[in-house]
Amino acid sequence: MATGDDVRRDVTEKAAKPIDLDQDLIAIATSQDQGAYQRVFHAIAPRLKTFLMVQGTIESIAEEILQETMLKVWQKARLFDGSKASASTWIYTIARNAKIDRFRKETRLVPDPNDPSYIPDSPETGEQSVTKKQESNHIKEAIATLPSDQLRIIMVSFYEEKSHTEISEELGIPLGTVKSRIRLAFGKIRNELKGVS
Amino acid sequence: MNIQHHIGDDTLMAYVNGTLPETISVVVATHLAICPECRKNVALMEDIAALYLVESEPAYHVDADPTAPDIQQLDPEIATAASTKYQTDKGVPNPLADRMPVHLEDIPWKKLIPGISHYPLSVADGSRKKGVLRLLKIAPGTPMPEHSHSGQEITMILRGSYIDDLGRFQTGDIADLDDEVWHQPVADTDKDCICLIATSAPLKFSGFFSRLLQPLVGI
Repeated sequence: MATGDDVRRDVTEKAAKPIDLDQDLIAIATSQDQGAYQRVFHAIAPRLKTFLMVQGTIESIAEEILQETMLKVWQKARLFDGSKASASTWIYTIARNAKIDRFRKETRLVPDPNDPSYIPDSPETGEQSVTKKQESNHIKEAIATLPSDQLRIIMVSFYEEKSHTEISEELGIPLGTVKSRIRLAFGKIRNELKGVS
Repeated sequence: MNIQHHIGDDTLMAYVNGTLPETISVVVATHLAICPECRKNVALMEDIAALYLVESEPAYHVDADPTAPDIQQLDPEIATAASTKYQTDKGVPNPLADRMPVHLEDIPWKKLIPGISHYPLSVADGSRKKGVLRLLKIAPGTPMPEHSHSGQEITMILRGSYIDDLGRFQTGDIADLDDEVWHQPVADTDKDCICLIATSAPLKFSGFFSRLLQPLVGI
């Protein structure tokens, strides 16, 4: 385990040399770029491990899940479509699915565009994803406008991946309040994003 | 399809962070297959979750090997080619279709009470305490016994429509209800209303007769 000093040094290094996940993913896909893979690995793996361990995963399983995730990132790099999702979101969903698959009897249920019953996005919805880089700043700004009681629930839900019931017990508030704060928070986030686009 | 009633953000968030019971996630994923608007909300939530991941401070050292795996990458054309599992159309999106033995038209309905039949669907975690997943068919004009839930109940309309205290629900719509909501749906056209219903815990019925029914109906 890293000491506090290591962690700080690590973060400063990352901050001094920001990496472009999108570009590195494309380099992995087009030329099996080893350097790009290692940059993605160093940017994602320690954070993913921390993420998993904060959620209560034991260390050996956290290592397994992150190895599985990085293996899939390599294997599936050519399926990455930057017009549909940012690289960080794409990697996050791979990691989350790897975690769920590791703990559940059944694989995660996701809609499949190849399904004949699938109804694709209308063209307008597709175009809204063009300004990706911009958008993550907008999302951060929108989140920053949330009142602290809503922000805390969003943080605990995403970072610690707690269920509504666990959050309700932990914060000592009724389940209905947890749910209504989530609804209010996303209503506000969507409203803020509408204002900037 | 003109979807009027969508999945609540609280339910979508539990889907995104992987904390939904399996029964409920079947309904969520089935609706997502036909609802671009809910998919957009999921995408936003995943963007937020990803920000929490990539902007977090790493606190652990990783043991795994950082060099690229020595294996073949997937070919996008092969990997995204339409899979053979869709050759039998069951009239509903996956992952519901995966859980049905036959087409929706050929379901061997089991009668519950006059005008109402059901067909239970199996989930990997089959313990009834974790809730149930079933198809329900309501004949035109039949009122369901009024009921509430001890947990969450989520319904997707697959065919026809129904009306209750909360509004009119048509094909593709979702009724995402918390406990403490009492409702009494009535199929409001001349066609059967077929729904997919998932609960996170058994329902509770009001009224003496309905309470008698509950062990029988088990929904």
